[in-house]
Amino acid sequence: MRPFRLGPLVVLAVVGLVFVACGSGAPAPTTSGGAPTAAAGKPVAGGSVTFVLENDVIDFDPLKSRAFVDRNVHYQIYDSLVRIDETGKIIPWLATKWDTSSDGKTVTFTLRDDVTYHDGSKFDAESVKWNIERYTKTSGSQRAGELASVDTVEAVNPTTVKFNLKTSFSPLIANLVDRAGMMVSKKAFDAVGNPDDFTRKAFKAGTGPYMLTEAVKDDHMTLEKNPNWWGKDKDGNKLPYLDKITIKPIVNSDVRFTNMRTGDAQVANNIAGKDVPTAKSESSLVYQEKPALSFRSLIPNRAATYVFNEKRYVKAVSMAIDRKELLDKGYFNIGVVGYGTIAPSHFAFDPNFKPYEKPDPDGAKKLVQEVGKGPLTFELLITSGDPVGLTLAQIIQAQLKKADITADIQQLEFAKILELQSAHTFKGMTFVGWSGRIDPDGNTYDHVYTKRPFNDSSYSNADVDKALDEQRATADQEKRKAALRKAEQIYVVDDPARVWLGFGAAQLLTNKKLNAPPVYPDQIIRFQYMSMAAK
Amino acid sequence: MTQYILRRLLLMVPVAFLVTILVFGLIRLSPGDPLVIYAGEERDPAVLEALRHEYGLDQPLPAQYVSWLTHALRGDLGRSLRTRQPVTEAIFERFPATFELGLTALLLSISVALVVGTLSAVKRNSPLDLLATGFTLAGVSLPNFFLGLLLILIFALAIRVFPPGGYTSIREDAFDSLRHLVLPAITLATASMAVNMRQVRSSLLDAFSQEYIRTARAKGLRETVIIVRHALKNALIPVVTIIGLQVGAIIEGAIITEQIYFWPGVGKLAVDSIGGRDYPVVQAIVLLSALSFMATTLIVDVLYAWLDPRISYAHGASS
Repeated sequence: MRPFRLGPLVVLAVVGLVFVACGSGAPAPTTSGGAPTAAAGKPVAGGSVTFVLENDVIDFDPLKSRAFVDRNVHYQIYDSLVRIDETGKIIPWLATKWDTSSDGKTVTFTLRDDVTYHDGSKFDAESVKWNIERYTKTSGSQRAGELASVDTVEAVNPTTVKFNLKTSFSPLIANLVDRAGMMVSKKAFDAVGNPDDFTRKAFKAGTGPYMLTEAVKDDHMTLEKNPNWWGKDKDGNKLPYLDKITIKPIVNSDVRFTNMRTGDAQVANNIAGKDVPTAKSESSLVYQEKPALSFRSLIPNRAATYVFNEKRYVKAVSMAIDRKELLDKGYFNIGVVGYGTIAPSHFAFDPNFKPYEKPDPDGAKKLVQEVGKGPLTFELLITSGDPVGLTLAQIIQAQLKKADITADIQQLEFAKILELQSAHTFKGMTFVGWSGRIDPDGNTYDHVYTKRPFNDSSYSNADVDKALDEQRATADQEKRKAALRKAEQIYVVDDPARVWLGFGAAQLLTNKKLNAPPVYPDQIIRFQYMSMAAK
Repeated sequence: MTQYILRRLLLMVPVAFLVTILVFGLIRLSPGDPLVIYAGEERDPAVLEALRHEYGLDQPLPAQYVSWLTHALRGDLGRSLRTRQPVTEAIFERFPATFELGLTALLLSISVALVVGTLSAVKRNSPLDLLATGFTLAGVSLPNFFLGLLLILIFALAIRVFPPGGYTSIREDAFDSLRHLVLPAITLATASMAVNMRQVRSSLLDAFSQEYIRTARAKGLRETVIIVRHALKNALIPVVTIIGLQVGAIIEGAIITEQIYFWPGVGKLAVDSIGGRDYPVVQAIVLLSALSFMATTLIVDVLYAWLDPRISYAHGASS
């Protein structure tokens, strides 16, 4: 006879799932122009596919959206002012061009004039003004931070819109690639009335290649082709090709992968490392991968009174870690080795920046001795119920042992770790990733600048702050690159803010019956370029 | 009897009240801030503060409880912190799927248990009995998350007869709905089937040794009549008790089963909500499960009287 209870195991399992959902690599936004095709075979119009997602979408409203997983749908139903191509370069989208004034304080966008929302209303400069003001002025808006530099928006004429900035802010254009630049129909929004309901029922509210027509919580979402979308492929054919996309949220990665193997689903973009060899060898599937914008890191608590207040200790840990081994054994070789926040597809990436290329346990030992307080022991917090995280922590633990550094692995509920991290009261290090942003500023500024929201290591370095402010204030790409690299040298090597381990991978798994689009570094699928393969 | 039922229903009120206090307190004692959890990477303190105020989470706990209770009494269980969906809507939207799965599993478990349990009691120590005992042992020992993955591996991947998960409503496509139901229902039913089977077998064996059975045999009644009319009916009292409790086990099992087969039911909602500290949703689900559990116990007690006329609640006394 079993009593009725919510077993603690269930709770742990749930938390594990939540961690996987929140912590696993997830990148930023985008879309490309032109019409790239990666797979062989002429695209044909028509057909429908099932796309399995690692979690249910919570917010269809870009204003409220927090979870990475939401963006998989946003990119299909909304267009942004600008997007990126598959190399990470910003390209025109709803805005055909943009000019920044010489003082950097106004940006003028020229808009497409052939765009209508799914509900039939017209997209124009007034619509941009309404959207940006909604993002900046609504209480609790998740986009307010990304648009904090915007003072006012002026609709000069139907196809010209001017952003007046409080200060020059070069990463603004990159922020407009993602949700902060996504355009929502005012008519559709007003029709729903309550914003809490709109975020679940944003039906026919965008201008994107697909329209959201149905959303059943935890079960499925239906996207139907927008027959009036403005995009065309390189031969001048109207996009998108596919008529319908059914999206099914499946949290368990084994079950998700099984659905791909049985053919019940045809598209996935989140494959567990252990399943990748099978995905590559399965004859019915095509697997693609490229380095993503997401990074993996250990976060030390550098606040006073904590052990990692001593910067040499952080550096010793960074020196002792064998990143290549960690990638091979812990991440099944999914992703690339890296040392900082600037990812391979960022313009400021420096391929020669390899400060910890070879593990140096002896150097680490010397550094710890130099501090002169005896052997280094610290607490490494990981999420309980996450076997992958535990394996990674154990590999790190073994590597540090070679430098006589003891990592004491502690498992806690993800919610508890977040709490400690936000309060800056965890004792040693935590193990948390970042999904990545299109501009290196988005991967860096809020993580290492003094007292910014994601600066969980309580890091503060005046030179880093100065360099990061400089790169924000100039539109000159070369000056930005120099300032970002200067800062990276400091927060990675001279006075390390964290121990960065590498970058994640953008994955795409498709059924052979499809012509798959190329993979984008933000991990989001461009369904408008996907088609059934001609027989 | 009516009086008894009314009294029991009245007694449910203070129990439900206590449950609300317990749940409210426990979920808030567990570490973690729902807004921080749902913020994911977007942890802007200013935004969090604004939302905390908007959702009333900055109020003192007793004030939050009173506000929740007064709204709940009027049928308003609030909105989910995560999705902003009204809680009642979220639960009722998912209830049909859970009810379908739970009821199928319960019926499957009872019917198989009655038939196989009776057969193995009648043919005690036969190969069938041994097989059933083996199955019982396996059924109770196999956790259903493992059994679920095993069934998917065999029936969805190796021999592709059933889908590896998902849900289709009966109204949409009855056949497809049934195909999707088979594996989750078996997964969910197995553990309780094993327990019920064992219970049927042992209480029947117990009944067989009673004198009234010997009398029935002496009267020259047919064996089938003896088993079904005399032995089984008397043996059912403990079985009904167990089945009543199995309803709880099935609610619990559904939580895991729904995760594995991505069945869009209340169990999956519960798991997501507990992990994310979605207070209003967790409170409502626990309250509703407590109420349904109490209702089941009441039904079981009423069934006793029907099964065994010696049990009477007329004067508040049971024999």
